Amino acid sequence: MKHSKKHLDFEVNLIPFIDLLSVSICFLLITAVWLNVGSMDVKQAVGGQAQEDTKKSPLVWVRMTAQGDLDLEVQQSSLIPATLRKFRVAQQDSKVNWEELEKALVNLRQADPSINTGLIQPTASTAYEEIIDVMDKLKKSGMTDLGVSPL
Amino acid sequence: MISDGILKTSVLTGTLEGHSIISPRGAKMKRQVAADLLLTALIDAFSILVIFLLMNFSSTGEILMIGKNQELPKASLAAVLERNPVIKIDEGKLYVEDKLVDANTITAELLELRKKYQELHPNEAFPGVATIQADRRVKYEFLNQVILGMNQAGYSDIKFAVVLK
Repeated sequence: MKHSKKHLDFEVNLIPFIDLLSVSICFLLITAVWLNVGSMDVKQAVGGQAQEDTKKSPLVWVRMTAQGDLDLEVQQSSLIPATLRKFRVAQQDSKVNWEELEKALVNLRQADPSINTGLIQPTASTAYEEIIDVMDKLKKSGMTDLGVSPL
Repeated sequence: MISDGILKTSVLTGTLEGHSIISPRGAKMKRQVAADLLLTALIDAFSILVIFLLMNFSSTGEILMIGKNQELPKASLAAVLERNPVIKIDEGKLYVEDKLVDANTITAELLELRKKYQELHPNEAFPGVATIQADRRVKYEFLNQVILGMNQAGYSDIKFAVVLK
């Protein structure tokens, strides 16, 4: 029997592969969503629970003023020293001083790590953007339960 | 056109002609026109593009329709947006699931949505979740009407739509 010598090398046809990749790229480019939209979760007390049933956990009230000052007040916490229980983050150029707020929240969390609730009380003239920024700072400091007080 | 103008002498019979690789008049040797195209680099580039686009691909679809004049506020720590009833504030107007309402009728519209949900899911507890989509410059005075309306209709979980920083 005579064995013919055949070449073991062969060429892969790359054209269908390129076609497939091109179609995939076109599809993904057309369906791509470039704007990354997320959500800030806020829980509102509807008022169906009795006051005695409500668990008393430490919380921070952030009261926003029309001038850009923030009044912070810690409630239901025994670990927070008297100087940090109620204080003001003064505005800077008629805007909220975000750096000072961040520092204040870090100090509060260091003094009492069990503070997980942050309640925001805006004024009628407060911009929606500022409320979201305060929420963002509260979340950054590690608070998970956020709320916004109605006017 | 070139043959009529001054370019005739400068381009066609100029120094470029002698250096042309495609058809040098000076060189008598015939060159092969067909060239092998290296496809490996092309496939590499395509593959990287496909991987990048797949990683950014959003399978949740478009939940919010953001208008041209609307700018959502920015936040760095936000949760993934889920499909819930959307309350939109656009150019001073209120919409519940694209239906125009006002401060007095928003509660009734939300209660209607709640009723529909309970009819469709009779054995499930009502989640009471809704998404608020508003421009970043909207004053809280306006937003407060929506929050109060939601409270009255039993929507206790509010999700503020934001753009991730």
